[in-house]
Amino acid sequence: MSLSKGNKVSSMSWVKHPGHYLFFKIFIWFWLTIIGTVTALIFLSNITVINAVSNEPLHGPMEKNLIYTAKSIERSVVKHKRSLSNTLSHTRLSKRKLLYLSAEQPEDSLTNKDVPIDVDLSLLNFTKSMSPQIIFTEKYQAFGPIQIKVPEGNFYLYEIDINNQPPLFIRLKLMPSWMKVSIAMIASLILSFLFSRNLIAPINSLKKAAVRLSAGDLGARAAISVNRKDELGVLGRDFNSMANQLELLISSQKRLLADISHELRSPLTRLKMATGLAQMQANDASQSYLLRIEKEANQLDKMIADVLQVSRLEAKSQALSLQKQSLQIIVDHVINDAQFEAKQNNKQLNIVGAVDVNINCDEGLIASALENLLRNAIKYAHNTISITLKHADAVYIEICDDGPGVPNGQLSKLCEPFFRQSDARDRVSGGTGLGLAIAKNAIAAHDGSLVLSNKEQGGLCANITLPLIKE
Amino acid sequence: MKLLMIDDDTGLCELLSEYLTAQGFEIQSVHDGEQGLKLAQANDYALILLDVMLPTLDGFEVLKQLRQTKLTPVIMLTAKGEDFDRIFGLELGADDYIPKPFNHRELLARVKAITRRIEHINSLNLAATSKLLVNGITVNLAAREASIDSSTLTLTGTEYEILTLLCKNAGEVVSKEQISEEVLGRRLASFDRSIDMHVSNIRKKIAEHISGERIKTMRGTGYVFIQGE
Repeated sequence: MSLSKGNKVSSMSWVKHPGHYLFFKIFIWFWLTIIGTVTALIFLSNITVINAVSNEPLHGPMEKNLIYTAKSIERSVVKHKRSLSNTLSHTRLSKRKLLYLSAEQPEDSLTNKDVPIDVDLSLLNFTKSMSPQIIFTEKYQAFGPIQIKVPEGNFYLYEIDINNQPPLFIRLKLMPSWMKVSIAMIASLILSFLFSRNLIAPINSLKKAAVRLSAGDLGARAAISVNRKDELGVLGRDFNSMANQLELLISSQKRLLADISHELRSPLTRLKMATGLAQMQANDASQSYLLRIEKEANQLDKMIADVLQVSRLEAKSQALSLQKQSLQIIVDHVINDAQFEAKQNNKQLNIVGAVDVNINCDEGLIASALENLLRNAIKYAHNTISITLKHADAVYIEICDDGPGVPNGQLSKLCEPFFRQSDARDRVSGGTGLGLAIAKNAIAAHDGSLVLSNKEQGGLCANITLPLIKE
Repeated sequence: MKLLMIDDDTGLCELLSEYLTAQGFEIQSVHDGEQGLKLAQANDYALILLDVMLPTLDGFEVLKQLRQTKLTPVIMLTAKGEDFDRIFGLELGADDYIPKPFNHRELLARVKAITRRIEHINSLNLAATSKLLVNGITVNLAAREASIDSSTLTLTGTEYEILTLLCKNAGEVVSKEQISEEVLGRRLASFDRSIDMHVSNIRKKIAEHISGERIKTMRGTGYVFIQGE
């Protein structure tokens, strides 16, 4: 029941708002194209000067009628023994349409009425084919010729139909064919272009928005006019409301993560404080457990700090304290710490090149990005970690390890918060699962880029690009 | 030694006062900003521990109003732990900050660093005539005051300490590490901006009274107090 009712409503709206349906739009546009082409032809045929002649065969009653007229003229001449010109001026014939009798000598040609000056009947003397036909000229149409044999000689009868304004189809007929073709071409070209643009523009806008959205730009929306009521307009608005919903969901999920982390800090502070108090009074036996509690609380603290940093960076709410300074100072600082860490793990750090250039950066953020990448490299390297520093049009830092690398399919996911390629090993080494996310966002906050790739001979490479200060 | 703690986390206040009491401090705690400000203005505390997120009056506002009348040392407890908060707090005249959740030992170390300095100064008070005069700035070590042309600079305890350290070593570079260890009682952390903030506050206050650069930044190393002719 309800289904048929729904169908009825939609079929009603078809009638009421044809503009809301793509079908009608396409239909109307095609129609307009044709009408436009024809209109252009008519318009141009009216403003062009035509001095051409065209013809087509004459058949049917018109032909019979003309033959009959010819026969009656012949009979009348023979019967009444009158001259041809007298017969023609006889009222019975002079009341009729203009008749023209073309003689073999043009000056012997006759008419039954006076002919307007601008009508040039002598054109008909040049008729090539002698079969009955309609001859179109700018000023008149001639039907004929029909041969009349009278004692004065052989004549050819034409019935002349003078037109003050030549009929449209004649004008069109008389237009040169190149003009006809080009008018049709141009008119349909323009209209088809407008039509396609009208159809394709919203699709393109949807496509762009979808690409941006899937690239993580949650603010991307399709530019679709509110007034557009057809299927594409509806699709565009549905797409936008989907994007809104998506943005809302993701941002509220991120905010939730940040809020929870923030709220966890108060109990964590109390936990640490209470542990401190307990440590003051504890005996040796329980001391080790308290140390363990403290260690775990510190780990929790670190994770919360990382979550908050990632969410601030992602939301771009981190206030960057930008300073123009040498990148080398920051790099040296971080590498010093990393050397120490690598030595403890019996791994070697190889450094090539230098980046002694000034860039505009938040040193804390850049340092934490480098730190996280280096720590990651040290964690997974078998023996050596190589760092390549160089600068040209931008700063390039490459950090590579000789570890197992990462399956190619997972490379893009590495920078997502809490992504782990294998569940077992990260926990042991004490990562929070946020290091690469922090690095990526910190570099992005400086308009730089972080690209992770596998080396051919094994191992993961992190390539950092940072823009130089624009002079 | 009497401390004031202004924090709306009552559980933390209890634990902290128990801990600090055990360490030999006397501690009083209030849980909203307005009440805290009143107490701080009415009494002479050795130190105030001030939370940022507070009901009725937030920590920054308490600090701002307190600094109009008193230079009591203040350590901000920044639950947010964001750079912006730290810098803002230091700009308003906080002596130090400690992000929550903090380590109890770290908190104790910082409280001790600041209170020890005050004790030290008080003991010096007796032998009290020593003054430093460098490049138009007079530092009265006894009164813990710095002045320019007999008008006193309103420096916080930490700012005074840093200025004194620079004046004592006028003409020489004093490293940030040295300032951090001697004045704040802690090692300089990587990329810690607090010393820079304090120095920038001192510069502003000097500039209100006298023109010309007095403290010069030595990039990557520290600061120099310019001796003048």
